[in-house]
Amino acid sequence: MSLVRELVAAIGSEHVEELDEGNWRVAPGSSAEVAEVIRRAGAHKAAVHPVGAGGRPQRGKGERARVFISTKRLDQVLQLDEMSLLVHAEAGLTGLELERILAPRNLSIGDYPPVVLTSSLGGLIAVRTPGKSSARHGFFEEAVVGVSAVLADGRTVHTRVAPRRATGPDLARVLCGSEGTIGFITSAVLRIHQKPEARLVASYILPSLDTAVSAVLLSLREEAAPSGLRIYDAAEAAKHFAGFSIPPGQALLCAATAGPTDLAACDRDLITSAVLAEGGRTGDLALAELWWRRLHAGEPTPGPSPSLQVMATPSKLRGVYHAVTEHVAAGGGSARAHISRFDADGAVAFFTIDGSDELVASAEVAAAGAGGWLLGARATKLDSYLDALRATIDPDRIMNPGTLA
Amino acid sequence: MTRVDVDRLQRDLEAIIGPRRVSMRAVDLDAYSRDMWPRALLAYREGEYDGPRPHAVVWPEHVREVVSIVKLARERKIPIVPYGGGSGVCGGAVPLRGGITIDTKRMQALRSVHSDELICDVEAGLNGERFERELERRGYTFGHFPSSIYCSTVGGWLACRAAGQLSTKYGKVEDRVAGLSVVTGRGELIETDGPNRALRGPSWNQLIVGSEGTLGVITSARLRVSPAPQLRVFRGFEVDDVAHGVEAIRRVLQKGLRPAVVRLYDELDTLINSFGHHEDGPAKEVRGPVPPIATGALPAWPEPEPEKDDGVVSRLLDFARGKGTRATAMNAALGRSSIVNKVFGTVAEKIARRGCRLIIGLEGARIRTEVEAALTFHELATLGARDKGEDPGWSWLKHRYHVSYRMSPMFRDGAFVDTMEVASSWERLMDLYHSVRTAIGRHALVMAHFSHAYPDGCSIYFTFAGTAPDHPAAERLYDAIWRDGMEATTRVGATISHHHGVGLLKAPYMAGEHREAMAIFEAAKQALDPDGIFNPGKMGLVERTR
Repeated sequence: MSLVRELVAAIGSEHVEELDEGNWRVAPGSSAEVAEVIRRAGAHKAAVHPVGAGGRPQRGKGERARVFISTKRLDQVLQLDEMSLLVHAEAGLTGLELERILAPRNLSIGDYPPVVLTSSLGGLIAVRTPGKSSARHGFFEEAVVGVSAVLADGRTVHTRVAPRRATGPDLARVLCGSEGTIGFITSAVLRIHQKPEARLVASYILPSLDTAVSAVLLSLREEAAPSGLRIYDAAEAAKHFAGFSIPPGQALLCAATAGPTDLAACDRDLITSAVLAEGGRTGDLALAELWWRRLHAGEPTPGPSPSLQVMATPSKLRGVYHAVTEHVAAGGGSARAHISRFDADGAVAFFTIDGSDELVASAEVAAAGAGGWLLGARATKLDSYLDALRATIDPDRIMNPGTLA
Repeated sequence: MTRVDVDRLQRDLEAIIGPRRVSMRAVDLDAYSRDMWPRALLAYREGEYDGPRPHAVVWPEHVREVVSIVKLARERKIPIVPYGGGSGVCGGAVPLRGGITIDTKRMQALRSVHSDELICDVEAGLNGERFERELERRGYTFGHFPSSIYCSTVGGWLACRAAGQLSTKYGKVEDRVAGLSVVTGRGELIETDGPNRALRGPSWNQLIVGSEGTLGVITSARLRVSPAPQLRVFRGFEVDDVAHGVEAIRRVLQKGLRPAVVRLYDELDTLINSFGHHEDGPAKEVRGPVPPIATGALPAWPEPEPEKDDGVVSRLLDFARGKGTRATAMNAALGRSSIVNKVFGTVAEKIARRGCRLIIGLEGARIRTEVEAALTFHELATLGARDKGEDPGWSWLKHRYHVSYRMSPMFRDGAFVDTMEVASSWERLMDLYHSVRTAIGRHALVMAHFSHAYPDGCSIYFTFAGTAPDHPAAERLYDAIWRDGMEATTRVGATISHHHGVGLLKAPYMAGEHREAMAIFEAAKQALDPDGIFNPGKMGLVERTR
């Protein structure tokens, strides 16, 4: 039987779409259907590529048939355990959709940047990029307690759900970040949170971007766990907040804290103390409220998307900022930046560069030279081990071939 | 047992690291034939231990020596067993097929502490107590305080996904890993460093941590440290029963509060603890905003208190002692464990009327710890927990390492004692408690405490003691306890180990734990150790070479 007929037999013709010769998009409606699709694709040695929210299948004739599996119909909450604050949700549900389901129960997926949550859960888990984290709730991947996935041979695996364990490697975390090359993630069990009793925001003006970074790191060292932090340099602050200006070289810090009221106030006060210790002062509360509304209430943020995103560890953050801004200035352009998404690994600097494409490209080199990590960086030194692992579990290399290779 | 030309092996090993750091002496091979697995101790007590021994023990000092040893072993198809402090309780370091045991304890440098990044670089063989003391001297803590801290190593913690007593704040060891240096079964040194949250690809740290020497040998690690605590607050509470206590802990954690330690003792454990001196005088010397080195979270050697320690085992002995000669009474009691469990339960619930003991401790930066402590204690009071003041908390802190060093008398008197640490989500926790307690209680005296609590669930630490007329019968009993306990755990959807690991003990239950997902572990084994030389026969992995 031809592959397309097998796919139709597995999930019905209404869920199988031929994109062009040799390429199909399918939309299975359950984990069992995903398993059936992969098993049948595997029998034909066809490649299997996951497609999440916003993902687009590649077109054009390839060396072999390709099946693009959309997760759009895998959009159910399978179980909500309110006692343990765990939700078992399918991979096609976006973070924001899940958040809307949880909200009436006074629950939340966590204080992650809303723009991150526009992705499907499968994509959020399967593809690791910097910034999927918050100082309060940590890295998104750490919220993954269990994963269900389909392997190349059609077997479905369910990693055991437990708060922590010591029964060998964390197999759920091996599937996280593997971009569909080890298994096709169909659902995940995630830690969720009660909505905070209080949420407070504040803004601060600091003498420099360096002192702003120092103040944030100092407050984190004092164990403040803010739900949001953002540092703007003077140029970026002026672009983002109409009518607001601070002298060049100074920086604006916006902060949000959350939790039991006393704890949220404590965290805000810890940040305030750190700011004062670094020579800063409190700023306009309205600025902080606007920043928070833009983040979480969908109000538009001015300006183009950043040209360059660089992750840096705490000791490298300031160096990366200066390396990029000074490099761009020397090249005749101008760069402005904000720094946010702080966690234990550091933070992400978002640069908007006015200058040629060549200048942006050379700014990337400058950022890397200062110890930053560019979006999409990969630990290639372990590729031979990943290849060997994939060769064992997927000998025909059907699972998202060409990725992480 | 692997066939090995031992003379040739000795020559080759000596060529790599010199004659002084290779041993094939019987006394060394005996010492490295086991760890602290109680089942092996049963045989050892009887002089009947006949477990497999390594062909050689080596003490490399540098990673290049480890690489050379692994290359040699790979070439000759000789098994390798990494060995830290030997404190494991699951038989993970038993050299099942002989071969070379690599003791990492001569790789023991704390190379650096990066204050901006809050990351240290430490060699795997460093003893836990020395590691923590060295960090404390520089103003930091790793926050990892297992009861084995005097006799375990950093590498051992990583290999078995260990937990310390303050895990509710600091997390388990796997939560603190930034990077690893590992010599794999290919004889290559790999490093997994990089910002874990930024780099694409699977998490190599989380693949290697907990692999118990089956994928390679960890030679050093980059670990996250915290500033040393400025303030420590401990209190004791009483709750009506286990269910109320569990509910109180869950509510506290789900409000976003993070005590460093939470321990709830069930009725029997509370009763046995109450025989001791938790309340017979405050341990005031350990108070103070900055705890003194010898008595703070840093460990101090247990003091010699043969008659009045607070260890569970010694309390069992005290209990038995009151009913006749110690050994006779204890054996009589443990031999009727199901009756004793019932009687104890009744005594605990109806006579003591003390409810269950709950210890809560917080530590960290001064201001936030003060606020969190106030919120935590207020929440507990709201939930009906009765505040018993600071003394039970400080007393626990002072005596918390004792129990692990009080097991010998039990074995000497013909009985055995062991612990089973399982974990589940809150929704399943009481099912887990009752199921495992019933399963073990058919065979042995059993008590439990709940510790290592997280917002989504908690671990239960069962302590059981039993006795049998002879060694074979003791082994049968021991095996039956574990079989029934593990099956009960798996049935309710809990995990069979929270922090002791798998080793030989729980290998038969790995298929039930992971089911089809074992295929991923098997694939990782094939990728990192293609010839199957690392710690063969462990963790339920298929052996490819014998």
